[in-house]
Amino acid sequence: MKASTHGAWGAACAAAAIWLAWGATHHAQPDPWAPRLVSETAPPAIDRGLREHDPPRPPRTDLAGEPFLRGSVIVRFRPGTSADAQRAILAQVDGAPERAPSYADFDIVAIDADADPEAAAARLDAQPDVAYAQARYRVYPRFVPNDPLYARQWNYPALDMERAWDINQGATAAITVAVLDSGVAFRPGIMRYQTRAFRLAPNGPIFPSLGTVEVPFAAAPDLIAPDRFVAPRDFIWETTTPFDLDGHGTHVAGTVGQLTNNSVGVAGMAFNVRIMPVKVIATMWDLIFRSPQQGTDDVVARGIRYAADNGAQVLNLSIGRLGPPAPVLREAVVYAVSRGAFVAVAAGNDFETGNRVERIAEFAPQIDGMVAVGAVGRDRQRAFYSNTGPYVELAAPGGNSRIGGASGAILQQTLDFDLVETFLRTPAQYRAPRFDAFTFDVLQGTSMAAPHVAGFAALLLQQGITAPAAIEAAMKRYATDLGPPGRDDQYGHGLINPRASLRGLGLAK
Amino acid sequence: MTWRAAIAAAICLLAPAPILAQTSEFMLRGFADVGSTTFAAEESFQAVLGSARGAVVGGGVEAVLPLRVFVSLRASRFRRTGERVFLLGRERFGLGIPTTVTVTPVELTGGYRFPGAGRLVPYAGGGVGWHGYRETSRFADGPENVHERFVGYQLLGGADIRITRWIGTAVEAQWTTVPDALGADPNSVARELAESDLGGATVRVKLVIGR
Repeated sequence: MKASTHGAWGAACAAAAIWLAWGATHHAQPDPWAPRLVSETAPPAIDRGLREHDPPRPPRTDLAGEPFLRGSVIVRFRPGTSADAQRAILAQVDGAPERAPSYADFDIVAIDADADPEAAAARLDAQPDVAYAQARYRVYPRFVPNDPLYARQWNYPALDMERAWDINQGATAAITVAVLDSGVAFRPGIMRYQTRAFRLAPNGPIFPSLGTVEVPFAAAPDLIAPDRFVAPRDFIWETTTPFDLDGHGTHVAGTVGQLTNNSVGVAGMAFNVRIMPVKVIATMWDLIFRSPQQGTDDVVARGIRYAADNGAQVLNLSIGRLGPPAPVLREAVVYAVSRGAFVAVAAGNDFETGNRVERIAEFAPQIDGMVAVGAVGRDRQRAFYSNTGPYVELAAPGGNSRIGGASGAILQQTLDFDLVETFLRTPAQYRAPRFDAFTFDVLQGTSMAAPHVAGFAALLLQQGITAPAAIEAAMKRYATDLGPPGRDDQYGHGLINPRASLRGLGLAK
Repeated sequence: MTWRAAIAAAICLLAPAPILAQTSEFMLRGFADVGSTTFAAEESFQAVLGSARGAVVGGGVEAVLPLRVFVSLRASRFRRTGERVFLLGRERFGLGIPTTVTVTPVELTGGYRFPGAGRLVPYAGGGVGWHGYRETSRFADGPENVHERFVGYQLLGGADIRITRWIGTAVEAQWTTVPDALGADPNSVARELAESDLGGATVRVKLVIGR
């Protein structure tokens, strides 16, 4: 049983504390503690069963502390701007080009570590030769781990999925869905990492370095199948092994495409698709293991471009951030949609903490082919945490533990949080994690709603609706209107209706 | 006996017809026809069935009354299978779900047969029709299929060509309107494309048996 009632929040605080205590990374630097894959194989995955009595956890929103990195900003110069002109512009903020990242049409510019990145970005943004400049905001997973197999998955009957699956049985391997997240439990292996010491809170106890640790990984048993995963990529560690060190990405991938009708565990929306794990979010263990990147805007933007360039037709972004607008992410999504990819993004879990604008979801209404997804509970009412606003376009099951307790959240297979979140114990009990043990566990959040839409998009693609804008239009046209008649800020156009969308139009009916 | 009867029938059918007699006395004959209909809801039929045009087969009876008046009762059938679709603007996305449309009009037509030259008798008429419309698709629950009947009106014109005493042929053109038959359901291509008329223009060739 999960001991902590505040695991997600604790993870968030811990990540913030690492950043506060050690100054985190000012900008990317060569990592002398780069991890090593010491074994391509590992013992079989451990099935730790169903967790149905865990107490609900509060929604996770942005971390405390500064939401962006200091010491660098993102800049995109207009085409044709000479190198001399670029240098002159950057000189205004004492900036210098740091590096040209892969899968990016922008630059990372180093600025003084004490300078205000937002002010520097604003100054650069005002230059005519600059398309945009922005601070490097951290992006976070939008989920809420929660409590308590298909009969327990109220979310699919709520969407009439059984009749939808009559029409389209989970798409096929011709469709690739990219899960841009904390990674996915997609393969076995043993990794050797160097750990660092940290504090969970500024005045809290120090958790000592564990030195060099060898950590086992396994593929999630209810997710793995031959040729299931394509083009895995890790933009946090700059590798091709996007291991999930958190559980969020694995849970999200499960809702997109958990193996179904296989007499194991639970079901997924589009259970025959291929999954492209793209790691763009750094979680607690990534930080403890000294990842060279955090999940900043530029990292996520590169992940989006990578997915689009490598054949993903659907991108799921169960991530988000607050703060100022994120043009680098907007342009990356526009690029992905222009390459024929449909994008589903979580609308945010910030309703009860100010309902601040969710910056990745914010621009979804302006992009035909991108949908911002709010969450409903099993009562088909907006979940308590789900953001409202003009950018909410559709609603899908995200779970609501206040209606029906843990069974009101979304059940999928994921990592065993007891063996992952060891940093939530006392320093004396703190030990190395393992990522080869799995449970069926419940989470809630718009992070859980978005993959329903991503999986739904995969079904529509397989059925023949191949244009991202048409996928969005089909979803909206057949959505079940909830709340006030017509589009509204709570549910957008309503709850997705996969069966009706898959059936489409007849001549007279 | 059987072959003798057949020969006798053949002689009767092939004997030359007294043309004038056709307009001065009551005659009852049957006919079968085959033709091509172009539906008024052109874009809707094109979207779902891949073509706005299709073959129609029919048949009926026709009574020629004194004073060159005729009354006919005809039933026909159009049937074609296409697929359900999604439309975004003018863009069509086929969904691979087979859907079969069957149109079965029963039409009562009255008209006038003009004095002709030789074996050719032109005619024109109009009338009312009851148009059965059936649309069934795979995966549909009962109420999601359509089985309805609508009233429409038709105008037609053509020419009879008497080949033998008992056999003739005709070429006929017909315009039909069946207003407000399509597009009532919001989940229809016809609604999307603002086409509601189940009628259309038909050209057909008839084989007429009888004097």
